[in-house]
Amino acid sequence: MSRKTALLLLPGLAFLAAGFLVPAVAMLVAPPGEEPTAVLARFGAMLTDPYELRIIGRTVTLGLIVTGLCVGLGFPIAYLLARSRSRWGGILLALAIFPLLLSNVVRTFGWLVLLGANGAIGRLLTSTGLTDDPPQLLYTPLAIVLGLTQLFLPLAIISCYSAVAQVDPGLDDAARGLGASRTRTFWSVVVPLSGPGIVVAATLVFAGSVTAYTTPYLLGGSSQRMLATQLFSYASVSVDWAAASATALIMTILVFAVSGVSSLAGRRGATT
Amino acid sequence: MRRPVAASLAVLGYLIMIVPILFVVATAFSAGRTLRFPPEGFSLRWFEAAVTYDPFMESLVSSLWLALGATALALLLGVPATIAIHRGRIPGKGLLEGLFLSPLIVPELVVGLALYQQLMIGLGLDNLTTLLLGHTALLLPYAVRVTGASLALADPAVEEAARGLGAGPVRAFVTVTLPLLRPGIFSAALLGFVTSFNNVPLSLLLQDREFRTLPVTMLDYVQQSYNPRIAAMATLILAATVVVAVIAERTVGFAKIFGGINR
Repeated sequence: MSRKTALLLLPGLAFLAAGFLVPAVAMLVAPPGEEPTAVLARFGAMLTDPYELRIIGRTVTLGLIVTGLCVGLGFPIAYLLARSRSRWGGILLALAIFPLLLSNVVRTFGWLVLLGANGAIGRLLTSTGLTDDPPQLLYTPLAIVLGLTQLFLPLAIISCYSAVAQVDPGLDDAARGLGASRTRTFWSVVVPLSGPGIVVAATLVFAGSVTAYTTPYLLGGSSQRMLATQLFSYASVSVDWAAASATALIMTILVFAVSGVSSLAGRRGATT
Repeated sequence: MRRPVAASLAVLGYLIMIVPILFVVATAFSAGRTLRFPPEGFSLRWFEAAVTYDPFMESLVSSLWLALGATALALLLGVPATIAIHRGRIPGKGLLEGLFLSPLIVPELVVGLALYQQLMIGLGLDNLTTLLLGHTALLLPYAVRVTGASLALADPAVEEAARGLGAGPVRAFVTVTLPLLRPGIFSAALLGFVTSFNNVPLSLLLQDREFRTLPVTMLDYVQQSYNPRIAAMATLILAATVVVAVIAERTVGFAKIFGGINR
């Protein structure tokens, strides 16, 4: 490596090491005031503790539901946007991407107004006489799923959009010309050819959902703990470093596992 | 898929994305005392209440400084690193780039915990230094990936041609390569600023009374009082974000900016 190259590279690497790499590794082996083995021991214990398993299970289950919803809603949106020839297409695309610039806190507040005890949906149900006693909507898994879907749908749309946009519309026409129905064309031409984009979308949404903090904090409360809210509570309320680090390890492994599986799927997609 | 099915799913998707935001805006204009819909009457009193509320304004200033500082640092460190990775003769380029992108993969809350535990509790660093360090590390992937994408498009032969015509290495870089990188640097700066300004998970554990960021102050506020002041503050952020979005769309184009980081 030339001296010039090293000079360009090293300051960035130093910051990366100090602000990320070294503390992240140290967290697993050197929690303040604990034995170096405390984190791994706690990690092992968590995997057999029914309370912890329930939180892991809830986090993964809600993550999978949100992933399904975001891909299931995001792909059709991406497909319509990519194939649209009207000028509304551009406006709708901008409207789908814009929320990515907006704070999760701001985006999530709306659900408090909609789902809260005095919220719009509850009042609508009572004023139309459907029920006298509006159901509890806030602090339920449903609230978390809605909030996370709102948060990650733009990410799913943009990943699917770039995939669909690369599929030549001529192929759609060719399939139609050879007698395939619109439905058949969609499922046997458009979806398989945009497979890698769908995998990327699903990975990003799942990884985002299982590590999100703001949404489960505001919409799930303490009755619907997820890994992120549980980690915060270990670190700041009970100040149990081993438990906080072990929870962090579980979250990290989850995210690495899903990225690993998806890059394998992507590689297989590339070779076939 | 039949068009009506796709269209209904699309409508549902847009409703989930947009409706909650509209409810925040609507309640911000309420004349009533609580955060409810439909709002009671119309007034701007909660906007006044938001901009005269010290915790909001102090943490807004903190957030702006932190985001500016972290973005500037990430570009100053990240752009040279990108150039070294793409143009330098070094072994293990893929590994190095992967290293710079790694903060994107590890959950932010986990990074926040690591910094809180190891740097603030362990080494006794103050929270401003830790926040700046952490945010800079978090934004480095944007600087490296997004400017890297425009560097890959910039033909090295152009810079060599400038050198051949007698420009020194610095002059060739500043007058030829840097202008080619400008859209990438602008995109990275915008993404970085927005990411840092909106960040909750990384910043959450690193707060103290002296220096807090706006999103964390807002989360705390909802916990204590449930009134339209929070909706008014959120609406002000929304309005500022719309301005940023319009500028971004006019200068580089949205899809391009987000396409850069999204592989």
